[in-house]
Amino acid sequence: MTTELQLLWLALMLYTLAGSTAVGAAVLARRPERIILAIIMTGLAVHAVSLGLRWERLGHGPFITLFEILSSNVWSLLAIFALAYWRVPALRSAAVVVMPILFVMMAWLLVTSPAAGHFPPTYRTAWLYVHLLFGKVFLGMVLIAVGVSGLILLRRAGTGAAALARLPDDVRLEDLAFRFIMVGFMFETLMLVAGAIWAQDAWGRYWAWDPLETWAFATWLMLAFFIHLRVTVKLRPCYSAALIMAVFVLAFLTFFGVPFVSTAPHKGAV
Amino acid sequence: MMADAPLQGEAVSASAGKLNVGGMPGSWIDAAWLKRLASLKLALAVFVLLGFGVITRYSSEDGSEWLLALPLFLGGVNLGASILTNPVFRSQAALLTFHLALLALMLLVAAGRLTYLKGQVELAEGESFTGRLARSDNGPWHRTQLERAQFVNDGYTIRYEKGVRRAETRNSVRWLDDNGAEQRAVIGDNEALVRHGYRFHTSFNKGFAPVFVWYPGDGGTPRRGAVHLPSYPIHEYQQALEWTLPGTQLKIWTMLHFDEVLLDPEHVSQFRLPAQHTLVVRIGESRHELAPGDRLNLRQGVLAYERLSTWMGYTVSHDWTLPWLFVASLLAVASLAWHFWKKCAAQPWDRGA
Repeated sequence: MTTELQLLWLALMLYTLAGSTAVGAAVLARRPERIILAIIMTGLAVHAVSLGLRWERLGHGPFITLFEILSSNVWSLLAIFALAYWRVPALRSAAVVVMPILFVMMAWLLVTSPAAGHFPPTYRTAWLYVHLLFGKVFLGMVLIAVGVSGLILLRRAGTGAAALARLPDDVRLEDLAFRFIMVGFMFETLMLVAGAIWAQDAWGRYWAWDPLETWAFATWLMLAFFIHLRVTVKLRPCYSAALIMAVFVLAFLTFFGVPFVSTAPHKGAV
Repeated sequence: MMADAPLQGEAVSASAGKLNVGGMPGSWIDAAWLKRLASLKLALAVFVLLGFGVITRYSSEDGSEWLLALPLFLGGVNLGASILTNPVFRSQAALLTFHLALLALMLLVAAGRLTYLKGQVELAEGESFTGRLARSDNGPWHRTQLERAQFVNDGYTIRYEKGVRRAETRNSVRWLDDNGAEQRAVIGDNEALVRHGYRFHTSFNKGFAPVFVWYPGDGGTPRRGAVHLPSYPIHEYQQALEWTLPGTQLKIWTMLHFDEVLLDPEHVSQFRLPAQHTLVVRIGESRHELAPGDRLNLRQGVLAYERLSTWMGYTVSHDWTLPWLFVASLLAVASLAWHFWKKCAAQPWDRGA
């Protein structure tokens, strides 16, 4: 096993330890938040070295194969969550929802081939990095909103009542989740704009309704629908939380499903 | 469309306030029909319809354009009416700017669809583009100026990675600018040639082009031309084409034959001409093998095979709205960020923690 894979395994073990600690602490109504943050940060550092070694070896960033896309997104999603975890104490309990979602991605990553893929010539542009950066921030924001929404739904289901009792009320939690949705909506818009600029440069058209473009736009529409719905009718926090979950499912399928079930995700990749 | 987004979740009604233009009660802006058009519920219906249109457009290629056009038109009307009547937009400049930018984007996209041009052209090495496209598709209001976008294809290099995976394309082109001065550039991949608003992109479509000179038997002017064989390496084993000799009804079947491996799957390689080749030419029942410089005496004249060259396929596009779309997009995102910032900065993120 190469060093980069050994480091990846180590990082995944650290993430698992952090996630398990978060879930265990919630069950036992403990708050080892600094320890969890320290473990996540150590995992991120190890994971960053692994990604860097692969980048150096292949000469391109981790965004071609499913393995690379999963690995880089586990890193970016955790990095964004760790930043929010550190700066916004109110959402630290969301780790019990966020970490299991990341566990699923990690498990998927472990059964995916780490073989290198072809880096198309049209990917050699700064706009790709801008597009990806905005996309990763968007998904990170929605994931945090999902974490907070999950707490609302857990409380409604009567799960972990003791641990959830000390959290702000549902209205305030929903308000917090909506803030992340608003920021996510902005970054999704930026992602679409940057992607359109890249497509215009690479293929002479800014929009062609390819599978990724179509589903990314459908996600944007769903976010816009949710934001307008929240303004139009007084949504109960649990309904708002359920809609945020639906947005995340669509975004997740767009990011990790569409490129690998379609024969032509973005034209340059084939 | 998106009116104020209160963080507490309070509802905002489109009819929550009245706006009198110039203080005139009963102005048309107060009209009930306009307020109905500006309804947030209609905006929600537009999102649902547009989502349905997008998914339908994705799953069926033909005949579903109206499923996008209809909700977009309805959305434009709703957005315009909302901007005119919803008092929220008077008090929140960022929100107003975002929605105006969104309306501008919709109008620009519509204008672009009416005036766009998309096309394809193939040019042999050394050949000049004179404004004729092999295939094209354009909006009803497009007025072509393609004849002004002349340039010459001066040849190209394409690197292939192991496994015959196409890497960088570098295509040299030259043209005369408006002052008659010669200009040169290298285009390819993410760099297009832009001439008088027309953008020329190299494509994956390229191949070999045997160059012939035809000397008509009646003493007419000799004509030089290149036969564009099927794209290489996609059609590696189908390097043949039937074509008609200019000014005659004579069908000529031409096949390029060479034995070397040009693009080695085991190594990094480069698209190039074969070191040695023969050109198989079949006219009716007669078959000939030609090398560069060979001539064929026919009843209608003499066909000389001059040399083997290459051709490049270009996609051509024209959309004057692009820079304006860019500006409107930036304005939309900046105003959205401004609006959200004001919303989020009003209260701390971890209140109640």
